Amino acid sequence: MRQMKLFLGPQHPGMHGNASVHIYAEGDIIKRSYLLPGMLHRGFEKGMERHTWMNNIGLIPRVCVVEPDINEMAFAMGVEMLANIEVPERAHYLRMVILELARISIHLMSYGGLGGPTGLYTLMYHAHADRNRILNIFEKITGHRVYHMYIVPGGVRKDFPVGIENDIHEFLNDLESRYTEYRDLGIENPTVLARIKDNIMLPESVVWELGVTGVGMRSAVNKPYDLRKVKPYARYSEVEFDVPVYDYSDARNRVDIKLNELVQSIGIIRQCLEKMPTGPVRAKVGNGQSMRWTVPKGQVYSCVESSRGEFGYYIVSDGGTHPYRVGVRGASYPQGLLGIEKYMPGTRIDDAPLWIDTMGVCSPEIDR
Amino acid sequence: MVVNILVGLGVALFGFVLQTAMGGINRKIVARVQKRIGPKWYQEFIDIFKLFSKRSVSHGWIFDFGVIMALGGIIATAMFMPVTANIIAFEGYDNFFIFVYLLAVGMLGMAMSASGSGNPLASIGVMRALTTMLAYEVPFMIVVMTIIKLTGGTSSVSEIAAFQQIAGNNWFIIALPLGGIVAIISLMGMLGKKPFETYIAPAEIASGPMVEYGGKQLGMLFVMHEITVFIEVSLFIHLFLGGAATLGVYLLKYFLVYTALNLISSVYARFKIDQVVVFFYKWPLFMAVTQAIIAIYLGWVI
Repeated sequence: MRQMKLFLGPQHPGMHGNASVHIYAEGDIIKRSYLLPGMLHRGFEKGMERHTWMNNIGLIPRVCVVEPDINEMAFAMGVEMLANIEVPERAHYLRMVILELARISIHLMSYGGLGGPTGLYTLMYHAHADRNRILNIFEKITGHRVYHMYIVPGGVRKDFPVGIENDIHEFLNDLESRYTEYRDLGIENPTVLARIKDNIMLPESVVWELGVTGVGMRSAVNKPYDLRKVKPYARYSEVEFDVPVYDYSDARNRVDIKLNELVQSIGIIRQCLEKMPTGPVRAKVGNGQSMRWTVPKGQVYSCVESSRGEFGYYIVSDGGTHPYRVGVRGASYPQGLLGIEKYMPGTRIDDAPLWIDTMGVCSPEIDR
Repeated sequence: MVVNILVGLGVALFGFVLQTAMGGINRKIVARVQKRIGPKWYQEFIDIFKLFSKRSVSHGWIFDFGVIMALGGIIATAMFMPVTANIIAFEGYDNFFIFVYLLAVGMLGMAMSASGSGNPLASIGVMRALTTMLAYEVPFMIVVMTIIKLTGGTSSVSEIAAFQQIAGNNWFIIALPLGGIVAIISLMGMLGKKPFETYIAPAEIASGPMVEYGGKQLGMLFVMHEITVFIEVSLFIHLFLGGAATLGVYLLKYFLVYTALNLISSVYARFKIDQVVVFFYKWPLFMAVTQAIIAIYLGWVI
């Protein structure tokens, strides 16, 4: 049969982000595929070497557009480890609230994203409407909707505004009350199930081969490998939450894990707001202006649990005002770059956008 | 004859205006379901007129001719469509099989034009559209054959509608409940509503057959689409909902049917093309055959 070359992106309604998947199909079956990255390459890693430590806070959220806060957290943790800074207790809880709100936001976006490839746009619009409410909360806290630049080395930029806790509680209660509705509309919907159940598999052997982490790994290996549990940062050791797992990684179970994590995040935020002490929210990193800080010589790898898996920054300092070298481990790099080439072939072209969506591919963090 | 042709063209124009307005109203309704405000109800008129004012790119004469053939075929089909019991352009020629054959001319014109664009996504979309047509037509035709048998062998759409108005006869959606369900499902397939929207599938094949169109050709395809929907919904009203004695009743039935289909479509995801075929050849086909056996051989009609 004659092979057809199809382009999934960069200008395509089924593509997530600025990347292109080149597909060679015979009939409806993909025979060969590969990702063409570089559409969003702005040299983040090299750019960081040209910015001061504090300047980088404005650059790094762009590494993952939809979930920027993990970048701030991983970078700030790295600098704090290098400079041996003790973060104020309140700042830890403020950071966790921000990170978990961001997790809910990205899981909503991803769950709503299921509506794009399957045509269930009602789910997409509902999820985006709720995500918009989170962005409103972010705007009140940080002054920014998407790139917050809130988590900085030493703590957070400023304390929560008065009354924001009520907004957060109100949103969480509302979201929780509509959780069943969300499930019925999406993952329990028979027409959605027909597309995602027993489809787009991620076997355990592929997880180990590619180095997939996060939801993909937890859905396949039945182990709660979540950095918030196995290597707690901030004050995740002080809050109670479960890590949802499966031993059968089809698209349905991966989406289900995201929904279950959404519930866990609601619980974590409530605990944080309850346990949050009063006090300062930012420790001084160095003397003088923040643009003239120097960070002691050394190298460090700091990582956090993003919605797609382990997200890490490898930072090298030569003791100057700029990082000497920064390397970013994007959580979706293994499945996004290697997985598409090796494991997308064999699926139908109908399933290609769903493959990218449920595997959790964020193309900017592949480019970085 | 000239009067008949003018009335027929009037029906086609009426169908275009009605469906374009109804489409706009339904975009508003579905937008509210989706927590959006939605565009103005006359947005589709603006879109179509704007497209006709734009320059067009041609991909060869097959590409251009196919669009004209598609639009011409659909306008010809609409000219035979009865609107109410009194508004029929060609009385005696409003035969169900005329609609089936003439609709196919429009569809084939569209298929020819889209394939002529040379875009593989368009070819995949055409292939899917024709496959979907094969899937929903079999159960739908069995139900319509059952109706023709029950009405004494007439295939005239207006006579079938009149038959349902006779005292003691129910609308066929009630008289043949299984057949009614099959007809609703098939109508969703005809209109390309989810879960059967495989041949448009923006996220998969970037709107399939439409992918290479712009300007006047796209405008003509929009007009063709609106008239096609008018024909298909009207067929359903006449065959299953007892037709319409007055224009007011017709408009009410049209609005209710089209809105209900859009609301159902708004909470369903899209099947894959193989799932569409398996689905239609499973439950609707089984229900259609069962209904035919019950109605024709056992004589059980409500």
